[in-house]
Amino acid sequence: MNGEHVPDLDFQKEPESIIVIDDDYAMRLSCSQILTKSGFQVETYEDGARGLEAIARLKPSLVVVDLKMPGISGMEVISRLHDGDPCIVTIVITGYATIGTAVEAMKAGAYDFLPKPFKPDELRLIVRRGLERRCLLLRARRAEMERELLKRRFITFVSHELKTPLAAVHQYLDVLKHLGDGKTSGVDREVWLGRCLRRTEEMQEIINDWLTLAKMESERLSRRRIRVDLARIIPEIIKNYEDLAAARGISLRSELPGEGYLVWGDPNCLTVLLDNLIVNAIKYNKPEGTVAVSGEVIDGEVTICVADTGIGIPEEYRDRLFDEFFRIKDTACEEVTGTGLGLPICKRIVSEMSGRIDVNSQVGVGSVFSVHLPACREPDEQGAKEEAASESQVG
Amino acid sequence: MSHRLGKILIVDDDVDFVSSLSAFLEAQGYTSIKAHDGREGLRLAKQERPDLIIMDIMMKERTEGFFTAQEIRRATGLGDVPIFVVSALYSKLDGFEIPPEVEWLAHDAFFPKPIDMFRLLESIRERVPGNREPVAARLGKEE
Repeated sequence: MNGEHVPDLDFQKEPESIIVIDDDYAMRLSCSQILTKSGFQVETYEDGARGLEAIARLKPSLVVVDLKMPGISGMEVISRLHDGDPCIVTIVITGYATIGTAVEAMKAGAYDFLPKPFKPDELRLIVRRGLERRCLLLRARRAEMERELLKRRFITFVSHELKTPLAAVHQYLDVLKHLGDGKTSGVDREVWLGRCLRRTEEMQEIINDWLTLAKMESERLSRRRIRVDLARIIPEIIKNYEDLAAARGISLRSELPGEGYLVWGDPNCLTVLLDNLIVNAIKYNKPEGTVAVSGEVIDGEVTICVADTGIGIPEEYRDRLFDEFFRIKDTACEEVTGTGLGLPICKRIVSEMSGRIDVNSQVGVGSVFSVHLPACREPDEQGAKEEAASESQVG
Repeated sequence: MSHRLGKILIVDDDVDFVSSLSAFLEAQGYTSIKAHDGREGLRLAKQERPDLIIMDIMMKERTEGFFTAQEIRRATGLGDVPIFVVSALYSKLDGFEIPPEVEWLAHDAFFPKPIDMFRLLESIRERVPGNREPVAARLGKEE
């Protein structure tokens, strides 16, 4: 992005590298021995110039530097060593007489100081704390970079996904205008108008997706609660996706009995939830695969499972699956398009209804998304009244 | 069949974009060939040897068009075919503001979507020989 070096967070891979810069040979030797014994990779340098050169080349995690040296001073080293990696932690070693300077050094960006003489354990402790500090800095930095990346991807997404259908419609209309009435013999105007309508519908879907999410983010998601029988709405939803599934040779079926899966919720939100899960199950499936929607009611909890026979979700992605804009970068699903907003919307809807959503998956075999919602135990009449009341409010 | 002005290959995963552009170019006297992804585009470029190629950038992959253009450039005998790059991306979007002379990019002109048909036709006319009629006249414009 900006060419900045942000080292890997995986500390287990190789020992942390530490550079010690001190003009005193005995000090270099003892620091090196103490830290090498603790498992660090240590390099020592006798002056600031060589030290800075080595920092640029070796990109260490931590630098121990003496303030008082001939040539480039320790202070100058501190002010220059963050050029390549802003997360390098610096520890200043100094005689008692220069503690004032050590404080200055910390103001300039050093992490801590160690007055001479010091015990081996004091050095080890301060280095360990320094490395913990670095770990936090790196995490914060990574998080910041990821946020930045998401922002940039969002702009790309808005730009591309919204402008593409709009451009398609514009171009149909523009070409019709250019060709005029007399020259459109090879053009089926009805087909083109139909396509224009479909593309504007597509845009509406995208905008709706965003609005749903935006509403959720501002916590204005519908609090409407009526009694909904999922066994009744699921077949309706499935019907909407039969064409999409058939086009990919996928069989789509509901394994729910006709009724009895009652929850309290907003039917629109529940439809959005199931839409998303079913569409994903179709999109991430294999040709000739199946999508099965099943359910059970146990101990006051309704569970709806959407199972596919698709490509599966690698373990390492499952934690982030419900994050906004997260999309798996995998060759198995590189051709699948999506907004990266579907599962975050699902998670939000489910948690608004005091439920939870989880996933079981096996790579190459398939995934099962399970939605668990509190069951509605109200007798039918009460539910019907609530339903009527709620409908009248909306109408 | 009447005399055609030239053969133009359109590579875009957006079916609607391809059909309307194709109809337009056909009405202007060009033969149009349609490809819906980079691979098909490359195959048809080699097979049909078009006089000009119109290529979308973001197809299945974010930069599929760029890489397809590069591949076409490498293909024998197609090094000189003009390639027009089109995209719905804002042309000044980060990472896409790349001067056309950059070798790997290998395109001749950039057109944001929706395409300005007048400008497109003018640019095609400059690159594809065999058409002398002013563009304005062919689009039925007054002057």
